[in-house]
Amino acid sequence: MNVLLLACVLLPLLGLSLIFLSDGNEHKIARISLWVTRAMSLSIIALLALWALSGFKAYEYQWFVLYQQDDYQFPLLFYLDRVGAAYLFCVGMIFTIIVKYCRVYMHRDAGYQRFFQTIFTFAFGLNVIVLAGSIDMLFAGWEVVGISSFLLIAFYRHRWQPVRNALRAYTIYRLCDVGLLMGAWMSHMLFHESQHFSQMAGLFDQAIEPAGYAALSVLSWLIILAASGKSAQFPFCFWLPRAMEGPTPSSAIFYGALSIHLGVFLLLRTMPIWSFNFLPRLMIFSIGLLTVIVASLSEKTQSNIKGQVAYASIAQVGFMFIELSLGLETLVLLHFMSNAFLRCYQLLVSPSIVAHLLRVEGAVDTDFYIKDQRKLQYLPNSLRDVLPDVLQNTLYVFALQEGQLELLVRNMLWEPLKKLGRTLNQVSAWIKWLTVLALLVWLLIAVAEVSGVAGTYLSMPVSLLMVLVSASAFSQKHSPFKVWNSIAISSFLAALAVWLMVPSALFDLFLFLSGIVPAWLLGLLAMYFLLKNDNFAESSFRYRAFSETRPGLSLLLFLSFLGLVGFPITPAFLGEDLLLSHASSQHPWFAAPITIAFVVNGIAAARVFMRLCMGRPVEVKEFRL
Amino acid sequence: MPIHKHKGDIFDLDAAIQHMAHWLPSQGPIKDFIHHNTLHAVQHFPFHEGVAVAAKVFGARSYLPLADYQQRFQTGRITPDAIDWAIAQSGCSTQDAQILRDSMFKDDHTSHHPPISLANDGIRNAWVNRLEIDLNALVHPVMFRLLSNYLDQGISRWALPKNGENFWDCVVRLTLNSLIPLYPFHQSIVREMLRENPEQVILTCLEKIVGDESLYSQYLLEVLLGHPGWSGMVHIIEGNPQALLAPRMISLKQMLAVELACELAFVDKKKGTHFLKIAELPELAAIPLFDEDHLTPQVPLKLRVWHEAMEWSLHSELLAALRDQPAPKVAQAAPEVQAIFCIDDRECSLRRYLEEVHPGVETFGAPGFFGIDFLYQGLDDVYPVAQCPAVIKPKHLIKSSTTLQRAPKKDPRQDLSKMHFSAHSMARGWIYTQTLGFAYAARLAWSVFRPATKLPGIRTLSELEAHGNLHLLRESDEPNEDGYLLGFSLAEMADRVAGLLRSIGLTQNFAPLILAAAHGSSSVNNPHFAAYDCGACAGKPGAPNARAFAWMANHPGVRDILRQRGIDIPDTTHFAASMHNTSRDEMTYFDEPSLDKSVHPQMQAFKRAMGIALERNARERCRWFELGPQTPDNKVAHRHVVTRALSIFEPRPEYNHSNNLYCVVGRRQLTRHLFLDRRAFLQSYDPQSDVDGELLAKILSAIFPVCGGINLEYLFSRIDNSMYGAGTKLPHNVIGLLGVANGVEGDLRTGLPSQMIEVHEPARLLIVVEQCTDVIDQALVKLAGLREWVDNDWVRFVSCDPQTRALMLYGQQGWQKITLPSALVAPSAKRSEAVIVGQTKTIPVHQLTGRHV
Repeated sequence: MNVLLLACVLLPLLGLSLIFLSDGNEHKIARISLWVTRAMSLSIIALLALWALSGFKAYEYQWFVLYQQDDYQFPLLFYLDRVGAAYLFCVGMIFTIIVKYCRVYMHRDAGYQRFFQTIFTFAFGLNVIVLAGSIDMLFAGWEVVGISSFLLIAFYRHRWQPVRNALRAYTIYRLCDVGLLMGAWMSHMLFHESQHFSQMAGLFDQAIEPAGYAALSVLSWLIILAASGKSAQFPFCFWLPRAMEGPTPSSAIFYGALSIHLGVFLLLRTMPIWSFNFLPRLMIFSIGLLTVIVASLSEKTQSNIKGQVAYASIAQVGFMFIELSLGLETLVLLHFMSNAFLRCYQLLVSPSIVAHLLRVEGAVDTDFYIKDQRKLQYLPNSLRDVLPDVLQNTLYVFALQEGQLELLVRNMLWEPLKKLGRTLNQVSAWIKWLTVLALLVWLLIAVAEVSGVAGTYLSMPVSLLMVLVSASAFSQKHSPFKVWNSIAISSFLAALAVWLMVPSALFDLFLFLSGIVPAWLLGLLAMYFLLKNDNFAESSFRYRAFSETRPGLSLLLFLSFLGLVGFPITPAFLGEDLLLSHASSQHPWFAAPITIAFVVNGIAAARVFMRLCMGRPVEVKEFRL
Repeated sequence: MPIHKHKGDIFDLDAAIQHMAHWLPSQGPIKDFIHHNTLHAVQHFPFHEGVAVAAKVFGARSYLPLADYQQRFQTGRITPDAIDWAIAQSGCSTQDAQILRDSMFKDDHTSHHPPISLANDGIRNAWVNRLEIDLNALVHPVMFRLLSNYLDQGISRWALPKNGENFWDCVVRLTLNSLIPLYPFHQSIVREMLRENPEQVILTCLEKIVGDESLYSQYLLEVLLGHPGWSGMVHIIEGNPQALLAPRMISLKQMLAVELACELAFVDKKKGTHFLKIAELPELAAIPLFDEDHLTPQVPLKLRVWHEAMEWSLHSELLAALRDQPAPKVAQAAPEVQAIFCIDDRECSLRRYLEEVHPGVETFGAPGFFGIDFLYQGLDDVYPVAQCPAVIKPKHLIKSSTTLQRAPKKDPRQDLSKMHFSAHSMARGWIYTQTLGFAYAARLAWSVFRPATKLPGIRTLSELEAHGNLHLLRESDEPNEDGYLLGFSLAEMADRVAGLLRSIGLTQNFAPLILAAAHGSSSVNNPHFAAYDCGACAGKPGAPNARAFAWMANHPGVRDILRQRGIDIPDTTHFAASMHNTSRDEMTYFDEPSLDKSVHPQMQAFKRAMGIALERNARERCRWFELGPQTPDNKVAHRHVVTRALSIFEPRPEYNHSNNLYCVVGRRQLTRHLFLDRRAFLQSYDPQSDVDGELLAKILSAIFPVCGGINLEYLFSRIDNSMYGAGTKLPHNVIGLLGVANGVEGDLRTGLPSQMIEVHEPARLLIVVEQCTDVIDQALVKLAGLREWVDNDWVRFVSCDPQTRALMLYGQQGWQKITLPSALVAPSAKRSEAVIVGQTKTIPVHQLTGRHV
């Protein structure tokens, strides 16, 4: 069973590396992907069968401990229970179908190799999530799914809409990852080494200390934030329809079938944490309810088929949230599987809608306004002429704009940040130098060890500075180098702040920086070569399409982007987790600035990557006058 | 073409819009796909110059990448002779020619990318850059949502417009009369403005944004071409509201008014009321304007020569074969069966195989609407559709009815197997999803792993029930409420039948059985299905036309009139109708019970022969399908094409007109012994019966727009699939039943998706007319406006003398004798199968030696 468990997780990774190493020949890729998929679905079936034979008992397996220091450990831990089994079954089935579907569907597409690489990355991330035994593991899978989703939305990178929409989805993912990152950290704090999912249910048998309630509530909120972002629940509904930019089957598997239900999965997994109290339950219930209302109204006015399916799906996930809050676990599982298959099918056959509506239904026009005068008589006289119209219009505008959620999120989150960054970017150079000077003085004070608590108080302005630098990276439009440097500086400041607080964590800091520094330098180098003959500021809005004209350097930039944002391919990922756990075990406030910086840095770096590497190549010289 | 400049002090908005509109793509709603010249905007230029102008305006490629041509040269598909010919045609001096020749084979790393688009990189873009607002990203989603919801034909559950309300009024209503603001029109500066009329709004906005009247049209054009797909759609619907099933009242002016108001609102929101106008831009003088000076075409000579050399290599393959065809013999005895096929290039190979299998069959080619123009409403159709080329406006409506008792049609919304596409309430949606989802798991797995065993429930028009009767004979001359005549009178029928028979030269020597074979294509999961059907029927299957033609030609009253007009169809001759399904390679025969008993043996023999021909045809098609079976077994091949047409994951149910290259107007004897590789539109025409070019003029007036349109649409979609074509079909999303877009917020994509054109060789159509030049000249005079096609070289036009087979090329300087190298002779082969074996690319024209005479 252990072997099968590992096979489920590692086979997609094997597929990914084989395809990556192949010479790009379509038939070879198809053969690899078909065989790997077969092997994977076989091991899934075998695993589930064995598990069923053993009496459907929850099963845990610890492979090895990846990293251990003091009371911190990062074990590779797998866990299979009813919830995981249901998800694993769907993953296996839908993934097999999609791979078979894409064998022909993607035939001759320029990005055949890229597509299968990404989709195997996705399967890997998905299986890690589904089989994860701890929140840390789950978070690793979560990031992998996020990046592969981002890559598939921007699959047709020579057009600017997919690129923008990929960024939009990525920002929401990133924002909601905060929930999970901080959740992982809090679970370290709360449960220490026993953050295994397997032990979670038993954790609450003994009476909870009163202090634990507050912490648990915060943890629940964080988890709910993460879940509603990934599942496009209120108020993040808007990104999902806009993410339908990749090839239809990828939309089907991501946003119809699997990825969108991950939020539900997270909630199912962490049920013991949030279900202890009515407050988080109420929150989940209201998120679900609001989502159902907004999404089913928005669905009514979607004039494109994929958007309509997307909103229908969001509404169903909203129902699942409601069911979850009521504790109907089994119903949720059934609902999930059923919805996954239905939406997947709907999206796959969505191009048939023209034929269907014209030839089968013959319904070309639909009704919305009250045409029947008799219905009006139920309204008071004074309102008959005025109100219905106003209400109809209001309802329509509400539905048309999908509840204004995008605007809401933008105004609440990004606009203030942008404004802050813009102001910072206008600060004159010598104030910046002054700050650096002040920082050095600060450092000297700390090194001199004037007093024991100095480090703590000194780290506060440093972490504030870290956030400011990130904000400045966020709204810097004219120079990718500046953005890149700001992100790196922000990471250095994070390390500095932690060191000030916990001088003993030096080794972990090196681990963290050993991921960041090479990524930073590599990125600078790649950008230097890419932009050698280009005045970026002159037309900073053009997508420069380097991934087509300079594929090698673009790949380099992409890898360094991943490194810089702490993707689980470099030590920086582990380091990020370590920084958090170290620093905030003593100073919980520190979690806030470092996660903000983490999110903002990620978005800023993604933006640089898109401006440089995506887009359609053009002859620039011709019309320069 | 200069864009409209203001006269005196008054900027004339209407005139300006009218002038700009011709730059917009003219592709209508996706339900009827009509091929046309993608670059109709520049058709008044000679081909190469027009392409150069368009390339600059749209930011598109003009030709294939240089390396492609060089590679074709290395594999022998471009001949040195053709390069000589192309250089001679280019008109450069001898020294230049030598320099050119030397440089042609060198690598060039600068010619791979298209130029920056003049329309998207002009004053508007400079202004937006200066303001640091990504205006398109803000305005387009709002505009596209409003437009698609307004024009939607039934995807959204709630319709936006009230009865007959126009677009402008709709937007104004939602803005001024809603409790929630319509973003961004609630901005006070715009809200106030909306009480005016659209024209006034445009002028006010232009005043605030541009500030200089001489730049108004430039700005408006850049706005329009910021989203050519939607602008073009609005323009089409404005001109022809009938193009939509549920009519909508919209105009470019209304759209521009809304869009400019939206732009102003965003700029106002971000920058306040005082922002930099375009007229105040410091770099204004340096920005290229959209006027005559900047539209002087600069044709890249090297690529032009390469392209012409490629075309000439391909064209001379046919010309050499035609040159060596013997002069026609005198008419033989009447054949057993005559079959009239569509001119379509996909029927080219089927005709060849049919004649091989059954020597008693004589085939003809004519546009697939068989000369009968009408609107057709089938038994299950909710709306009548036009069944004739787009240039003809039909006046007759034909309905079909049945005498059989039919079960009352189920309301599809209640049909659970169609649940995935129908509307339901929130609660019902919940219950359905909870319960029925698993059924879809099975259904999905089934249709992916066993595609051909069950249809996924979508009936295709080509499988329409053939049992209904067509109401063809008109009973009263009263037009119905829409102004259509219900059916034809006998004289009108005779006009149409005689017209067709004369044009294909079938006025005597009738066989006992004459078959009208229409064609259609069935595919699943394909929003572009209309582009696969018969182009001469405006993107519909031609079955109703074939049935109508057979019925009319069988009618004794019609035959009497025909007899008076000199076409004597003997009573022993009977007409029948059928339809070829081009994707599945199947033949459906219509109205068989009413076929006269005397011709049953001929019919049986024909069907048998056709069955074999269809299987061979399927095999020939399979050589193009990389994932299909490369098999000598015709049955396996046939099974494959059927499966292919039924697979929901197959983006290429067939390759359509991908091979189109030639068009031969003449007697079948000219091409009967040639292997044309499904590359030719074949129109039957008897040069002897047409002394004054009357018939030829009629034929050419259909061939230029239809075949030429198909050819150029494939050509440009292939050369720049991103700009002129619809890009890859894989991420397409159906918008409002109007068209497809990338994602939910993209502009409508016009042109052909890459899956339709990927194997196409982008060469212009070569039209060969079997007629002497002076008759052709007379015909050309009658063509008036359509002469643009030949005069500006948008097609290659060649005359082949009916007796001597001498070839003459038409050009602006008149007819020019074609002398092909005598070494150039069409390779010969015994049978088609010998030619196609192992071939996966286009094959030169072959002379077939093993065929019956």
